[in-house]
Amino acid sequence: MAMSFEWPWQYRFPPFFTLQPNMDTRQKQLAAWCSLVLSFCRLHKQSSMTVMEAQESPLFNNVKLQRKLPVESIQIVLEELRKKGNLEWLDKNKSSFLIMWRRPEEWGKLIYQWVSRSGQNNSVFTLYELTCGEDTEDEGSPKVPVSTRKEGCLLFLPEFHGLDEATLLRALQALQQEHKAEIITVSDGRGVKFF
Amino acid sequence: MSKQLDMFKTNLEEFASKHKQEIRKNPEFRVQFQDMCATIGVDPLASGKGFWSEMLGVGDFYYELGVQIIEVCLALKHRNGGLITLEELHQQVLKGRGKFAQDVSQDDLIRAIKKLKALGTGFSIIPVGGTYLIQSVPAELNMDHTVVLQLAEKSGYVTVSDIKATLKWETERARQVLEHLLKEGLAWLDLQAPGEAHYWLPALFTDLYSQEITADEAREALP
Repeated sequence: MAMSFEWPWQYRFPPFFTLQPNMDTRQKQLAAWCSLVLSFCRLHKQSSMTVMEAQESPLFNNVKLQRKLPVESIQIVLEELRKKGNLEWLDKNKSSFLIMWRRPEEWGKLIYQWVSRSGQNNSVFTLYELTCGEDTEDEGSPKVPVSTRKEGCLLFLPEFHGLDEATLLRALQALQQEHKAEIITVSDGRGVKFF
Repeated sequence: MSKQLDMFKTNLEEFASKHKQEIRKNPEFRVQFQDMCATIGVDPLASGKGFWSEMLGVGDFYYELGVQIIEVCLALKHRNGGLITLEELHQQVLKGRGKFAQDVSQDDLIRAIKKLKALGTGFSIIPVGGTYLIQSVPAELNMDHTVVLQLAEKSGYVTVSDIKATLKWETERARQVLEHLLKEGLAWLDLQAPGEAHYWLPALFTDLYSQEITADEAREALP
């Protein structure tokens, strides 16, 4: 899916990189920035970033145009994304963040649909299985070769393309909140039961 | 562009041509026609007493064109604050008409817009550097504002220095006009330009011309 990224017209518009004083215009500007951040991260399969990386990334730094969004404005954009549920700070100092182009609740809905469709309600999956052995909790374990990947391997299904482990966990937590799933402890780590 | 607007357009045209006589004579028909016009932001009552004969004398071609122009302006006003160059309007209208439709010239657009103006829709035509800017959202633009727009047409932006050098105005007068353009959503501020603040008009941003109207913008165009 790594096609060339199509920048929106605003990206080539010099004032896009200055926080607009007019509130209506600023709203449009922030909406465009949020949209751009999410599509950029989705295409580049980037699920987390530090603020320092962001500053220098082509996302906020248009070298050709000689414009870059100042860090205070970047913070404002990130805060908008956090309010919309697409961003989560990974540390107290707000230096790095998780970026989710689709909100965990939305992923949760898709996961639950998949579970119901394949008649797997009331079944238990280990996190290891769902992530096809890519589970970050289990750093020492060997990667599961393609041929032995079981059907419960969510992350490799086409409809879950673009879902990373950290977001998956939050999606399961969202389902847990809705009483559609429960995260449990299994023999060698964590698992989830779907209702 | 949107199914609803298309359907509405067709209904309006059919109605107008079928009921030409009744619209002239019958108040009930006039009310129905007015309601339909209101849906696309056209207010027949706001024009002078010559309206009905004028309206029905225009012919389907210019009326249809007027509706198309409104569609394009509605869809793009989110981007450009309701100000668009005649060139861009022309390009977008041609795109919307498709290959088999009758060709439309810039002169045709001006005629259609003049009709829309007469109907009290808030359209106005601003001459700038050999072409025209079409204003579709009634913003308060006086002579000072218009003259600065004309100045900006060349490069898509304008600065206080440009205004002082070309128009020989005081700094304060220049600043007030630029503040007003920002306030009306017609200009965006650029603080990273070399030298001083640049005020850019999306309407004059030529890069924009080739850009398709996005799905979001098409949604904005729904009445």
